[in-house]
Amino acid sequence: VSGAGPVYLDYAASAPVDPRVTEAMAGALAQLPANPSSVHASGRRAREAVECARAQVAGLLGAPPASIVFTSGATESDNLAVLGAARAGRARGRHLVTSRTEHRAVLDACRRLEREGFEVSWLRPGGDGRILAEQVAEVLRPDTILVSVMHANNETGVLNDVAAIGALCRARGVLLHVDAAQSAGRVDLDVEALGADLVALTGHKLGGPKGIGALYVRRLPRPPLEPLLYGGGQEGGLRPGTLPTHQAVGFGLACELARAALPTEAPRVRALREDLWQRLAGLGHVERNGAAEPSVPGILNVFFAGIEGESLLLELEASVEASSGSACSSASAEPSYVLRALGRSDAAAQASLRLSLGRFTTVGDVARAGAAIAAGVERLRALAPPGALERIA
Amino acid sequence: LSAVRAYPARVRDLFQAPPAAGPLPAGRGEHRVGEAGDAAAGAWIRFEARVADGRIATARFRAWGCPYVIAAAALVAGRLEGLTPAAAGEFDVQALAVELDLPPERLGRLLVVADAARGLAASPAATAG
Repeated sequence: VSGAGPVYLDYAASAPVDPRVTEAMAGALAQLPANPSSVHASGRRAREAVECARAQVAGLLGAPPASIVFTSGATESDNLAVLGAARAGRARGRHLVTSRTEHRAVLDACRRLEREGFEVSWLRPGGDGRILAEQVAEVLRPDTILVSVMHANNETGVLNDVAAIGALCRARGVLLHVDAAQSAGRVDLDVEALGADLVALTGHKLGGPKGIGALYVRRLPRPPLEPLLYGGGQEGGLRPGTLPTHQAVGFGLACELARAALPTEAPRVRALREDLWQRLAGLGHVERNGAAEPSVPGILNVFFAGIEGESLLLELEASVEASSGSACSSASAEPSYVLRALGRSDAAAQASLRLSLGRFTTVGDVARAGAAIAAGVERLRALAPPGALERIA
Repeated sequence: LSAVRAYPARVRDLFQAPPAAGPLPAGRGEHRVGEAGDAAAGAWIRFEARVADGRIATARFRAWGCPYVIAAAALVAGRLEGLTPAAAGEFDVQALAVELDLPPERLGRLLVVADAARGLAASPAATAG
């Protein structure tokens, strides 16, 4: 990740697996072969490892272990929360609230619910990228059953005041689901302080393996949830299927390591991000997408006037690995719906880079990346027709 | 969010070291400009040429767009020299698309390159030198 190759600045897409996690997972694969649901000795050892991991995940959230449901990742957790809560609560109401800048796992689940007869209020953030509790309050109705607002936006890193939204929801008897995939392990996260009933997270954003995540489900009172899968009683019937012991072990350890490192890592990564921003701001005609604060420490989303995003990514291919402000789901790059919702033009959204830093990012990485991005932007700006700085803005 | 797509080697080479890029150097002859496109079109190209004795003696391009756009503009600019301004926009867009292994959804951007090249013929000539 660091060294002679490209500087990896795509932690928001996936963070490198901590070597200690890799080692623990290899150990689990070799030494814990049994099904954790089996009652024999080998099965009980696997179960112990899974329950240890559950406690580690819960510890990151300030939650009791019994509130953690293992899933395949944040997408499944978001789907289970949104679809599960809405379908289980349809007798009480058919109105949901979410924002236009949620992850697709929430957006597409809500669209699915619209096709099932639910009504969704889609909140638009301000130019700073934040969803305010006042906006939620304006659209709540007697038949609202669920509010889903992400903690940190995956493109801008901007943090929503989920605690204020949680207090509002609690007062109105509405369930709150929070997608915390980008904030878990990167900022202090306490589900009680947030007032959340459902919280989604994933292993691979915080130094754990891909393919495993969790949904926090409040215990008291426990929100009604309809499972997405059927076929067994695992995870309290909410997520049937054989638990992947090694994945759980890796995820759990990653949560514990992230929790332990948080007091030192958060300020270190934040300082690195601001160093990178200062290096890029010196180019001129660059702007941050979304508010600088409050935000998770490692995400910097920058708009470069006069630049086309796809060309910038290729320009940086050998030096920096990052993501551009285009959607990857289309053959022709569509501008990011998140940046569009923040008021950016299509061209400006495409001329934006998400640079995300993390645990293994060094001062040297930031210096190399900053120099490479600056050189790339200057070359592409020199290639562009006169007036591009003003017209591609 | 997107990552770097797999570009053909030809496109990469032209993108990384485009021939005939930048402003037109000073010289004798008519200075002509052909420009087309904008951000909404996904391509914005400006060709400049110095015309002497009825033929393009020097050509340069500047471009904003994806790597295919920059590669196409570089390729076209490199082939303008020796042509008459009227012939500048007559290159075969489909052949250029094949040469660059262009994804079908990007064909519209090559048409913008062609428009800019055709603009050279229509551009009012300004004599310099």
